[in-house]
This record gives sequence, C-alpha cells and structure tokens, in this order.
Amino acid sequence: MAQVVSYFGIRHHGPGSARRLVEALEALDPSLVLIEGPSDVSDLIPYLGEAAMVPPVALLAYAADDPSSASFWPFAVFSPEYQAIRWALAKSKPVRFIDLPVSWRLKPLTEEGGDAETAVETAIEETQTPEPEPHVRSAISRDPIGALAHAAGYEDGESWWSDVIEQNPDSGPIFAALGDAMGALRKDEGPLESFEAAREAHMRLEIARAEKETEGAIAVVCGAWHVPALKEKHSQKDDKALLKAPPKRKIAATWAPWTAQRLSFESGYGAGVAAPGWYRHLWQAGNSAGARWLTGIADCLRKDGHLVSTASVIEAQRLATTLAALRARPQPGFEEFREAAIACFCHGEPALWATVSRRLLIGNEVGSIPDGVPLAPLLEDLKRQQSKLKLKPEALERELALDLRTASGLDRSTLLHRLMALNVNWGLLQDAGKSRGTFRERWILSWKPEFAVELVENLVYGATIEQAASGRLMSQLAQTMALPELADQVHRALTAQLDTAAAFGLKRLSDRAGYSSDCTELLSTLAPLADIVRYGQARETDTSAMGDLFARLAIGGAMALPHAARGLDAAAAQGLCESLRGADRAFALLESGSEIIEPWQKALSDVLSNSASTAIVAGVAARLLYQADRLTAESAATELSRRVSPGTPLADAAGFFEGFFEGQADRLLYDTALRTSVDDWIRSLGEEDFVAMLPLFRRVFSALDRLQRKRLLSHVKGEVQESVLQGLTLQAGAIDAWPAHVNEIVRILNAGARP
Amino acid sequence: MTEKLRLPAEDAYADELAALKASDSGQKPAGWVMSPQAVVTYVMGGRAGNGKDISAKYIGNRRLIETAVATLATDRALLLLGVPGTAKSWVSEHMSAAICGSSTYVIQCTAGTDENQIRYGWNYAHLLAKGPSRDALVPAPLMRSMEEGKLCRLEELTRMGSDVQDTLITVLSEKMMPIPELNTASYATRGFNVIATANNRDKGVNELSSALKRRFNVVVLPLPDDMEEEVRIVSQRVGEMAQSLDLPAPKNVNEEVRRVISIFRELRGGQTLDGKVTLKSPSGSLSTAEAIGVVVGGLSHAAYFNNGKLDAEGLAPNMLGAIVKDPVQDTAVLGEYLETVLKKRSDYGAYYRSMLDLI
Repeated sequence: MAQVVSYFGIRHHGPGSARRLVEALEALDPSLVLIEGPSDVSDLIPYLGEAAMVPPVALLAYAADDPSSASFWPFAVFSPEYQAIRWALAKSKPVRFIDLPVSWRLKPLTEEGGDAETAVETAIEETQTPEPEPHVRSAISRDPIGALAHAAGYEDGESWWSDVIEQNPDSGPIFAALGDAMGALRKDEGPLESFEAAREAHMRLEIARAEKETEGAIAVVCGAWHVPALKEKHSQKDDKALLKAPPKRKIAATWAPWTAQRLSFESGYGAGVAAPGWYRHLWQAGNSAGARWLTGIADCLRKDGHLVSTASVIEAQRLATTLAALRARPQPGFEEFREAAIACFCHGEPALWATVSRRLLIGNEVGSIPDGVPLAPLLEDLKRQQSKLKLKPEALERELALDLRTASGLDRSTLLHRLMALNVNWGLLQDAGKSRGTFRERWILSWKPEFAVELVENLVYGATIEQAASGRLMSQLAQTMALPELADQVHRALTAQLDTAAAFGLKRLSDRAGYSSDCTELLSTLAPLADIVRYGQARETDTSAMGDLFARLAIGGAMALPHAARGLDAAAAQGLCESLRGADRAFALLESGSEIIEPWQKALSDVLSNSASTAIVAGVAARLLYQADRLTAESAATELSRRVSPGTPLADAAGFFEGFFEGQADRLLYDTALRTSVDDWIRSLGEEDFVAMLPLFRRVFSALDRLQRKRLLSHVKGEVQESVLQGLTLQAGAIDAWPAHVNEIVRILNAGARP
Repeated sequence: MTEKLRLPAEDAYADELAALKASDSGQKPAGWVMSPQAVVTYVMGGRAGNGKDISAKYIGNRRLIETAVATLATDRALLLLGVPGTAKSWVSEHMSAAICGSSTYVIQCTAGTDENQIRYGWNYAHLLAKGPSRDALVPAPLMRSMEEGKLCRLEELTRMGSDVQDTLITVLSEKMMPIPELNTASYATRGFNVIATANNRDKGVNELSSALKRRFNVVVLPLPDDMEEEVRIVSQRVGEMAQSLDLPAPKNVNEEVRRVISIFRELRGGQTLDGKVTLKSPSGSLSTAEAIGVVVGGLSHAAYFNNGKLDAEGLAPNMLGAIVKDPVQDTAVLGEYLETVLKKRSDYGAYYRSMLDLI
C-alpha cells in the first residue's frame, strides 16, 4: 500500500494559492486532508460545509473560564484553507486540523486570577491585544511570499504571485518550487522559537499518525513557511520531547461571524492582508480580473457623483498595460491599476482615490453563521458577570439605584453602560445622573429575549462584553464626523470604562477639530467636552490631553466667532446663541484660566462692537460680558439704549433685547440703570411698534413669576424706593462677627450634603 | 562657453542623452528616440548602460514619472497638474527632450492666446498675391509637431480661454487638424503627443471642459514630502538668488529657513510636524517657491534696513503676505495657529510676537 504525503505550502489568505490548491487537490484526489489549524477543535470543521455559513467567518476558541483570553482563525472565501475544507467536505473526504491544540496558545492562568493576556500570534490567527507578543516572529516568517514580493518591489503579494509563480513557465509544479524557495529562505533565519518548534513537531507527529491510519494519498495544507520543516525527518522521540507538559485548560470553541474590515492588516490582525476587497475580487473575477476591477472602481466613483466614462475605463486599461510593460512585469497588477485609475478617473488626485479606496480595498462584507453552532461567548460572559454582580435578568421593569462611589455600584453601572454601547438596552438610564450629582445613577432594568440575538451579532466586535463594546464604539467613532456627536460618544466610552475606545475617540475628536471651522459646531462641542473633563477629574482619568483639546476648541471657536456672528438668519442665530451660552457655562464649570477667558471675552466684545453682528447674538454677547463684569452697568445700559434706540430697525432692537434678557428678566428687578434704560426705550415706542413687540415682551417677562412681575411694575411706577437695603443700617460689631457666621454656615451646608 | 542665458534641456544635457541612447536596448514606441525605461532613468537619475552617471532632474516619487511616461507611450495626452513651484514645466521640458529629442515646440498659453496661435496663421502677403494655398499657411508649434511627429508642450493650459482650449479636442482624439479654408487637413505623424501643464490652485483660471479633460491622463506633482529635502531646496535657491542680487547672507540664514519652512509645512499640511495637533490650512498654496520668496524678502530687508541682521521682525511681514490671502478666513486660521501652537514654543517666540502684532 503506497502512502504518499503531499505538502501544499500556501500563502494564508492568498487567492492565487487557493485557486492552485483546489486544482492540485482535484488532480491528487487525496483520501485525507490535513490542515494547519488547532487539532482539538476539528469537530467544528463540518459547519463550514453548511449553506448558511457565509465567510468571512472566524474559528473562535477561548478559555472556558475567561473568554477574554481568546484566539481567532479567520477564514475568507479566498483563503486556501477554507477552499481545501470545502473541497474535502463536498467530496466527503475526512479533513482535520493538525496544529497544536488551542490551550498551548492561551497563556496559563496567572496567580492573580483570570486576567491572562491573550494568545500568541501565529500564522493565521488573530490576537486581541496590541501589546508586544511573547512570540514575535519576523515579518518574513509570517508572510514569506509577501516578503519576497516586497523585496522584488511589489506592494501586493498576489501580483507577485501571479507574475512570478504562475507566469513563469519553467517553475514546474508550483508547490514544489515554493517549498524549495522556503527552504532557501529558512536557512537565513535564526533557530526557531520553542513555540514554533513545538507547532511543527506537533504537525509532524499528526502527519505520521495519519500515515499509519490512512490508506491512499494524504494532502497536507499548511503555510508555505512550514513545508521544509514538515518534510524533514525528525525522530518521533525528539518531537514528543518538545510537546511535554501540555498546558491544561478547559477550552470552548465556536464559529463567529467576521468582517472584511477585520481581515485587513490595518485592523491590527497580524496575518491580515492589506486589501481583502482586492483579494476577493481576484478570487471571484478569474480571467478578466483587470477590466472588472477598473469597472468596479469606475462604478464606485460614479456612485459618488463623479463623471467616469466608459472611454476612460478603456484608457485606464491601456495605461495599466503600458505601465506594466514599462516596469517589465508580465501583466498589470494592483499598483498599475491604482495608478491608472488615479490618472484616468481621478484627474490625478490621489485624494479622490482615497475617498473610494477603503470601500474597494477592504469592503464591508459581514459573514454569517448557521443557527446550530455552539453558544456564543458573549452570552456566557454576560451570564458570568450577571452572577458575579448579582444582577438577574428579569422581564418585568425594575428600578435600580447605583452609588458609583462603591465598587459594586461602579461595576454594575459599567456593565449596563457597556451593554448600552452594544445596543442591548437592558437598563435605561434615567435623567443621566445630572440632577443628583455625578456619583448617582438610576436605571430601569427590563430584559428582553431579543437581546440574546443582539449579543450574538456583536460577536463581530469581540469575544467579551468589554472587547465587543469597545470594538463597536470604535467603529462608530470612526464613522462619526460631527464634533458634538463625537464628544458625546467619547463620554459614553468613558462612562463604560472603555479606555481604548475613549483614547481613540479623543484622537479622532482632536483630528476632526482641526478640520472644522464652523463656529457653532466648535462651541457646541465645548459643553459635552467639559462634561468629559469633569468626569475624568471625578474618576481619576488622565485628562490633560482633554484639557488641551478643550483649550484648542475654545480658542478656535473664539477666533471664528466675530466673523460667524454676522448676517445670520433666525434659526442659525438661535443655534449660535445656544452654543454661546453652553460654551460660557462650560468655561465657568471648568473654571477656565485667562488663556481661554481672555480670547473668549475679546471675541464677545468684538461681536458686540461690530455693527454687522446679528442683533440677537450681540445681545447674548453683551449679557455674557455684563455677567462677567467686563461691561459695567453704565456701559451695558448705554449699549442697550443705543441698540434699542429709535434709530435701530425694530427687528434688530427686538433681537438684541431678546438676546440680552432671554431667561434673565429678573435682572431688571435689581439693576436700576438697566431698568431705566429699558423703560425709556419701551416708552419711546409708537403704538404700532409696541403692539408688534408685545409677543417678545411676553416671552421675556413670562420668565418672572407673579410676585416678581408685580415688584417690577411697582419699580417702574416709582412706588418702591431704590433698594431693599435702603433704610437698613449695619449693626455695630457685625463685621467682626461675620467670619464666625461664615464658618458656621459652611459647616451646616457640608453636613447637609452627606446622606 | 555659450552666450545664451539658458540652454534647452536637449542641449544642456546632450551628453547624458547621448549616453542613454547609445546603451538603450529597450523597445522604443514609434517616433521615440529612446525607450520608456531610459526616459524614466533620464528624469529620475541613475546610471546609463555604459556606466555614465545620469543626474536626477526630478526629486520625488518615481511612480508618478513612470505613470507620466507610460501615458505618453499610449498616445494619450498628458496633463501635469500642481501648485506653482512643483517642477511641472521642468519635468515636461525634460521628458520631451528625452522622448523626441526636442523640447522647443512650446505654446505659452495666456488669456490672450487665440486659435491662430494654436492652429495656424497666414502669410498675408502670400495670401493676397497667390490666394489660399498650403504655402501661405504659417503653422503654429502644435501643427509643426504634428507634422514632424514630436511632442508639443502647452504651458499653463488653463490660462487660455475655454473656447480656445477646445480647439485641442479634435487634435487629441482624432490626431488631425482640419484646415477648412483649403478643404484639407493635417494628419499627425507617429510620435506626436501633447504635454500640458496647469496650475490646480489658482482661482480665476478657465477650468477645462470635461470633454477636454477626459482626453488627458492627469498626473499631479506634489509638494516635497520631506522636510529636509525642502530645507535643502530652499537654502540652495536662496543662496543663489542672494548672490545674484548681491545680498550678503547672514550666518543664521539656515536656522531661519528651517523655522519658516516648518511653519509653512505645518500650515500647509494641516497638522503640526510631530503629528499631535491637527490644524486648519489657509487658502494660499504655501509652496516651496513662496518660502524662497519669503526668505529672500527677509534678506533684502536685513541688508537695507536692519544692519544685515536677519530676524523674525523682518521675515514676519513677508510670511504674513504668503499665508494670508483671504483677509477674513486666513487671518482666523493664522490667529488660531499662533495662539494654539506657536505661543507654546519658546524658540518661535519672536515669530509669535511679530506676526501677532501684524494681524
């Protein structure tokens, strides 16, 4: 009985090698297919054959007691491993994984408990933490074909593969040639890490076992890098010695839906590819890949409203072909098409290409998994946290009050906030804690069965609630453009204790702030940002970066204000007034220093002194300056009487008046100079004008209650003397007694604030 | 020694071109004097087959030049876009010198350019004496280059009127120029093509019609990527210009050049050099050429009004002129930059104060 083991060294996620692999499997017709992948989860392989399983999907394995310690093995439709499995399942051939079991990759439990870091980086598996890995491998061993391509001046490993491997007629059987190339490459690398050595030993042992058990040909599908090592003769004893003392840890594994975005290198996936969209295209398009790719680019640009004619597509194809000839390449590849598209479709502007490149190169595919797969780790994580925090899921509404100063209160609040970030609104936050200070929260809890479905969908973002919430918020942050919304989301990330997401959001906020020159947008960001800064102060987060950002936005807004305040229509003016008041409150809240207050007040006085400013905005500016004592009562009165004098158009006068007094009418009770000036103005109005202004007066004065209105009226009629203080005299010794009184009052106030 | 102030590229670099031609083994498109690979080597610098060093004419991204040369090899017209001072005309001159051996078929497009300067004029004496004929026709450079199979260069294409620009459409798509007066047409010989340059920043130029635009492949030449490269270019050009204007160069020129360039690059790039703070960009282009202008202006101020001392006070007015092109928006942008960035840098204190005084 002849036993042939054939080794197929592939490029992980390489469509070129996937295509060749399927052809080779057809030709060989092996009776067993072995694949580089964790050998203890081989029982999950058959799910890949189900119709409802749509890649990209990932094999997800995690420690049963701690899902944050997890490893992923993503598969795309163009992954050679996926195609090999599909081939074997379709032909009903046995197929199994031969790499080290999952537990080797998960760090053993540390003594402090379950805060183990995530797994090591390996060929196709994704790790969750960006920190340096214990087993960092050189770039060349991770993607040797990509490294060879880079050395040859290609940006894209697949173009190199098709140019060099597939176009070269002399190379003979591709996989043999590739094995030889890897052998040569490996000679220059240093000795293997113990972990890598253990992996290869394990694979060798598994292959040997299969040889004994199986009749007929065996196909081994593994990263090209491993082929020379797997072919080498090693004694089984030596190999077994490498695998002594396997780590003992209970493992759970399942399939998770994946996204094209997380297949890409930029998502932090070590073995990711630069352009999954391009690879998928190569896999699907077959022979006319180039023309179809260019048509796809043209289509994308047209959807964005750019004019791209069919003639331009033809020209781009011609240019790409000539460029390839100029660069001595047998056919145009990724770079040639990109440059041709920029020159012919985008009028030479790389920026225009950048607007569509993400959509094209990465794509927005999301995989899906059939119903039958084992339970998702997010649900398990939630159950564990629920029992730890003593929060039962109940369908009936229940109120929950949390004190954030206690550890249990904070933990519960964090969990609920994170679930909210995952769109699982188990708890609804009442009045957002603002009225009762920052350390109390009131929730209404009510569990609905569809939350479980919602949670499974969130598996795309991570394996634990924390990771998933962070991932989801980050993807939302990446799509948000408006500053106030961004600030809001950062605030949410902070309250949910998602530091990575918060830092990312802050970075994005700071980037976007540089692009925004809209004064209203800048100023209205200040209020939520002040909340963030204050929140950070309350919970000892590092807020210095936010403080800087706050100052930048404040100064930017102040600079833009005098210009932005001119010639506004009613709605825009209302919006600007709103953000002016909000910004001023934010400065007061943070007790901002002179570096912010000075430019701010200067901007306000510019608005006030410029006659082109919209009246209502000028009114608000005057009010704010007056409140800050930057405008004396006399000059405020002068300003007011000038602005509302008969020479001013009625609408402007009314606008200024409204801006100055909106919500602040009680000022008139105490400020004689102001009152006189307003009184004079109202008296000077003709009957028609007065009637026209009545709704405005009503709006302004309705803020006063009946008693206040009565007092105001008697003031105006001259029935009340100047001040309530009049007629009173200071008691002898009052000045000496005052400090003691103050102390007593402060003591009472402080004691009263405690529960 | 020649009496000419400046020689065309094909004469100034005749030895390099000859060396490349002699050792050129690549395939040549019809009408080209050397292969596309050799043209790229000539522009980007390198080594000819016989070992002669070829100087770099363009310092920057090789891929852009490859795209440009490949475009000309496909018989599509090439449009080089870029802000002023990005070597567009320089590249177009050298490419035509290398491709067809001549860079002198040039039309300088202006608002006053009319169709006769693009197509052909008439020798009126001949016309009156003998009536309309080919002999009475005076071809413009475009028509001559069509007949001779050379490259024609159109400088500042967008400055000429849109109606005149559209004369090019037939020439570019059908490679022929009709002569209705004689009921005939002039057909382009193989090797003919057009390199146009245009400025993509200026306001008030005549935007290309989309019919014309899609007959060009466009390559945008960017401003220098690298700070050191830009400092080198500016220092060198400032040195040359100061010499020709007989201005003494104070010792601290290089330091001030570095500061001016870093302010320019930060404002132009929309972020601080350390990448920590995003900034707004003013409406002007803030090109390398403007940085040179600022420093030369500062030198002149130093020499005549400041006892030869080059300082921020002398440079600031020039910088302000370069940065603030739109009195309202750019002032706000600059103000924000001064307050949020420069104020915190102690070694830029003088710039902060003098610019703040001026805005």
